[in-house]
Amino acid sequence: MIELRNVSKFFKTNQEKKYILKDVSLKIPSNKNIGILGRNGTGKSTIMRMLGQIEFPNRGNIISTKSFSWPLALSGGFIGNMTARANVKFVCRLYGKSKQEIQEIIEFVKDFSELDDYFDMPIKTYSSGMRSRLSFGLSLSFDFDYLLIDETLSVGDERFKKKSKEALMKKIETCNVLLVSHDMNTLKEICDSGIVVHNGNISYFDDINDGIAEYMAINRQ
Amino acid sequence: MIKRDPFKIFLAVQGALFLRELSMRFSSGRMGIFWTFFEPFFQIFIFILIKLFLFASDDSTFDFAVFLALNFTAFNMFKNIVIKSTASFQANKALFVYKQVKPIDTLIARTMVEVFITGIIIVIFIVLGFYFNFDMTIKDLSMVTLGFIWLIVFAFAFGILAAVLHVFSDSVGKLIGFFMTALMFASAIFYTIEILPLELQVWLMYNPVAHFIEMIHGHYFYALTDSLVSYNYMVIWTMSMLYISLWLYSKLEKRIVSS
Repeated sequence: MIELRNVSKFFKTNQEKKYILKDVSLKIPSNKNIGILGRNGTGKSTIMRMLGQIEFPNRGNIISTKSFSWPLALSGGFIGNMTARANVKFVCRLYGKSKQEIQEIIEFVKDFSELDDYFDMPIKTYSSGMRSRLSFGLSLSFDFDYLLIDETLSVGDERFKKKSKEALMKKIETCNVLLVSHDMNTLKEICDSGIVVHNGNISYFDDINDGIAEYMAINRQ
Repeated sequence: MIKRDPFKIFLAVQGALFLRELSMRFSSGRMGIFWTFFEPFFQIFIFILIKLFLFASDDSTFDFAVFLALNFTAFNMFKNIVIKSTASFQANKALFVYKQVKPIDTLIARTMVEVFITGIIIVIFIVLGFYFNFDMTIKDLSMVTLGFIWLIVFAFAFGILAAVLHVFSDSVGKLIGFFMTALMFASAIFYTIEILPLELQVWLMYNPVAHFIEMIHGHYFYALTDSLVSYNYMVIWTMSMLYISLWLYSKLEKRIVSS
């Protein structure tokens, strides 16, 4: 379960405080794959980062005993002038993996990301597609309770998209996802329930289809 | 995911960061390793030349080259810990997406890397010292060691403060650079405070780093003493630096993570 207790989060613009969440209390049940919906700039990614504990509410608490992955986004998480191999090793060490486990993860990620020779080149030479292939492959090698995914599923060519969707479907048999996406089909396919972010409030829908309907209604306004 | 013990997480993070910092230090261009280890020799060479030309004869009762090697090793360690800490949050920003990496972890790792490099430099000096038959007798090894460890703690505290301030203003990095150059001349590195005129002594002894350097060489050479060192003054500086910097850091940690 993820519990939000009187959570407020705002950013200051020149004129005013812009609220993403305003005194929100909410309980999100366990064992659900959750889609996060909302218009651009409503704070979907910020909410995801708060759940991943790398961004913090201005007031209130977010409580959960579950483990969350780092947010898989199009950028960040890697060191540009290190090779993919060195980056993967580094992340494995952060999570306290043994030498043998590290070796296995490297083999898996290298194989999954299809980077071939680029695997031993500095990451700054990568395209954004290559970067997110690597990032996605790496996150599949760890056992989190929740994978935080921020619109990274839509990268790569059709073949790779299919491959990563299959891998993700297999992965979510053992873990859950929190997915930020604008692609309703992906959301319907992967998620059970949904969160809609709008005007400083969030609402939880047990059925993703209800969430999507609400989001559509907001969009028509 | 299996819950890990907090201390184990800390050690795993430190191990990962240490190896990463070390490999970055040594891969920064081909000259990376060369300059790291050549810098102290260069400094010692310059100051020996200055002394020979300005004061013609070497009348000191201790080996001036050993004196310089000792002081520069200590001061460079202090300087590098502070300077590397200053830029640490910016340089490691990408890592804060992993929630187990706290900004202060990167400072601890960088400090450890500098201590490790200082250790290698000390070994090189000792080997060369024996090879060329320098007189390296130590009066009080334990006090010299204490001086170094204490200086590490002081530099670490100083580094946190510089790093936190640097988040809010880039000019802090530049200021620290100037400040370190000034400190090099004011910290009893190529002279002892004793030989200076009394009015100057009073002023220089406000500088805490001068106390550290005086303490270290005062306990190393039989010909020198630590009579001008105020250990109380050093304790006050260390404690207040640690207090202020950790307090500021704890207030601002979340902002640093999500900035």
